[in-house]
Amino acid sequence: MMKKTTKIVFLLTCLFFLSSLFFTMQQARAKDKKEILIGTHMPLSGLGAFTGEEQKWAYEQAVADINKAGGIYVKEYGKKLPVRLYEIDDESNPTKAAAAVERLIKRVKVDLILSGQVGAMGVLPGMITAEKYHKYYHGAVIWVPQFLQQHFKYCTMYFMDPGQGAAMVFEVWNSLPEKDHPKRPALFLEDTFDGKTIGNVMESLAPKFGYKFVLRLTMPMGAKDFTSQILKAKGAKVDGIFCMSNVPEAVTLVRQMKENRFSVKAFQGFKGTWPSNFYKSLGKDADYILCDGFWSIDYPYKGAKELGERFYKDFGRYSTNVGMYYAVAQILWQAIEKAGTLDDLKVRQAVLDNKFETVNGPADYDERGIALFPLGDNQWLNGKRRNIYPFDLAKYKIMVIPPWDKR
Amino acid sequence: MLQEPLKRKTHLSIALALVFFFVIYPLLVDAEASYLVFLFYTAFMYVTLSQGWNIAAGYAGQVSLGQHAFFGIGCYVTAITWRAGTAGYLDPLAMLMSGAGAAVVAIVVGLPLLAKLRGDYFALGTLGLGEILRVAALNGGSFTEGAAGISIPSDVYQSIKPYYFIALLISVLTMLSLWFIAHSRIGLALVAIREDETAASANGIPILRYKILAFTLGAFVTGLCGSLNAYFVFHIDTTGAFNLNWVIMPILMVILGGVGTFVGPVLGVFSLIAAFELIRLLTPQLHPIFSGAFIILVTLFLPDGIMSYLTGHKNRLLHKLSPFKWLALNK
Repeated sequence: MMKKTTKIVFLLTCLFFLSSLFFTMQQARAKDKKEILIGTHMPLSGLGAFTGEEQKWAYEQAVADINKAGGIYVKEYGKKLPVRLYEIDDESNPTKAAAAVERLIKRVKVDLILSGQVGAMGVLPGMITAEKYHKYYHGAVIWVPQFLQQHFKYCTMYFMDPGQGAAMVFEVWNSLPEKDHPKRPALFLEDTFDGKTIGNVMESLAPKFGYKFVLRLTMPMGAKDFTSQILKAKGAKVDGIFCMSNVPEAVTLVRQMKENRFSVKAFQGFKGTWPSNFYKSLGKDADYILCDGFWSIDYPYKGAKELGERFYKDFGRYSTNVGMYYAVAQILWQAIEKAGTLDDLKVRQAVLDNKFETVNGPADYDERGIALFPLGDNQWLNGKRRNIYPFDLAKYKIMVIPPWDKR
Repeated sequence: MLQEPLKRKTHLSIALALVFFFVIYPLLVDAEASYLVFLFYTAFMYVTLSQGWNIAAGYAGQVSLGQHAFFGIGCYVTAITWRAGTAGYLDPLAMLMSGAGAAVVAIVVGLPLLAKLRGDYFALGTLGLGEILRVAALNGGSFTEGAAGISIPSDVYQSIKPYYFIALLISVLTMLSLWFIAHSRIGLALVAIREDETAASANGIPILRYKILAFTLGAFVTGLCGSLNAYFVFHIDTTGAFNLNWVIMPILMVILGGVGTFVGPVLGVFSLIAAFELIRLLTPQLHPIFSGAFIILVTLFLPDGIMSYLTGHKNRLLHKLSPFKWLALNK
């Protein structure tokens, strides 16, 4: 028995020794500065996977493009260095996101970190871990209050403000002819931090734009039946909907609205209505539904159209997200060049001190490390998302949803 | 028979040497930059979580799928007491309160569940506990900060060393407690219950009391780990605290090492962590596929765990723990 025990202990020791050898090799490689090693963690599986795929594609495109241009000039090294991206799947799990950042910093020895996503599910634990080890985390997709709670010194964020998002919804509704403004709108919200946050902001801003929500209904995540919510809304004569949910819940809601012949003049979805599989699941029933977007191929900024077409070529669909992720990487590339070094604090300071041109428009960070960009709004029609907001950039105008019996 | 004391001495020497190695390792390397220190810290946490599950499931035969509930309670008790100012950073009292909180819930829930349910039904009942607590925390208003979770300022963080040594201490104490329990009358009673509840009861063993004891001890150490995790991640929300991984991973580790054995879970923890890390290094993009394949291979070829291979005889416990019967179907 002892012989076997010794065998196993020896085997385990070998495993750890082998792991250590790999770590040492990684460290040795990092010292020989021939490239800029950027680490990132993304939800490539789990709940956030539907956006992780686009984030991965966008980052990889940004890396390929900068390397095609010869890399980033870093004054400290007196030459242009190519960028290498090291990706880890955080499985949409906050604990694994934190562990992924530990791995990026300690094992992979990355120079800087590009954002993960989905707020508390990935970005926040990632930022907290990076802050512990004084590593710069170039963040995105996190709400401002969450970001400010931790008083980060090694992180920045690039996203939208819930207030901006709420204001956009009301501005879009107000762009309808007066008679078609929703008079009795309702909130359909998932039971999450995002749902509650946006719901509170929508309710508090509504009076400023001449609206008052007559109902606030909860959509439990994973629920397969929203008949009771629909009947309540029907009974309250609801004629406009703001819905914050994931795709399956949004699809179920629209299907059951049709089954119950519950028509509204405007349906604004956040998060759950922009992915392509929302339209694939509903077909023509998804027409006229509004979806948020962090970017549009129709934006007039340099590289936006080309990026959108490249995405279409690869996936056969259009994206309302990839431009935002591409922009995050673009900002980091420019900041490294302006800082002239890979020093974490100096790169962060360069992010704060400069203005950046991106495929998502100009980006300007404040002293807290926050850069906000205007949210976009799109309307589904014949399988395409038509950009209707911001009004000055949009090619299309919003259309009223015809009742179910007239479609 | 004469060899037994010698064996014990050898085992004790190996254990002491390992503990000594783990104590000095972070002092010999740059702990802040060492990924291995972080891995060891994670391993110590999982040793405690695995043994917490093993004491109820492995020794007493009560398969709990609700350890994540106790882990979540530990996280929230620490976060709430810290936010309220009643606990400080890495406060031992807060950690004990977190363990005690989980233990109290284990008693309250365990009394009806362990008295009325057995096997699969008990497992499902405990699984429900995690979901109930998750939803309760989600709707806990300002007390739990709902879906937003509780954020604790991370600027107090100085070094990974305190976390490492606390995790090591908790795992060593858990192992010692388990050793004494396993070699006491309590251990005998637990094994008797696991083997045949009716016979144990007929022999005068108060089975409910012992089941509750094992379940509560497991919950206590799991709550301690939850507390330490709260101090490490600085943000507690329902997704992270009540994540099913906190029960699935320890179960996998115990199965890999050997259910109902003393050293098996430790071997399971280190083997699984080392294997997953190697798979991540070799196939960073596809690691979930290979990690999954690794688990399937292990359950196929070592269904009774590494310890059964070491001891040279197959542990038949898996046949008795009904939720895992399928693992041994094709043997």
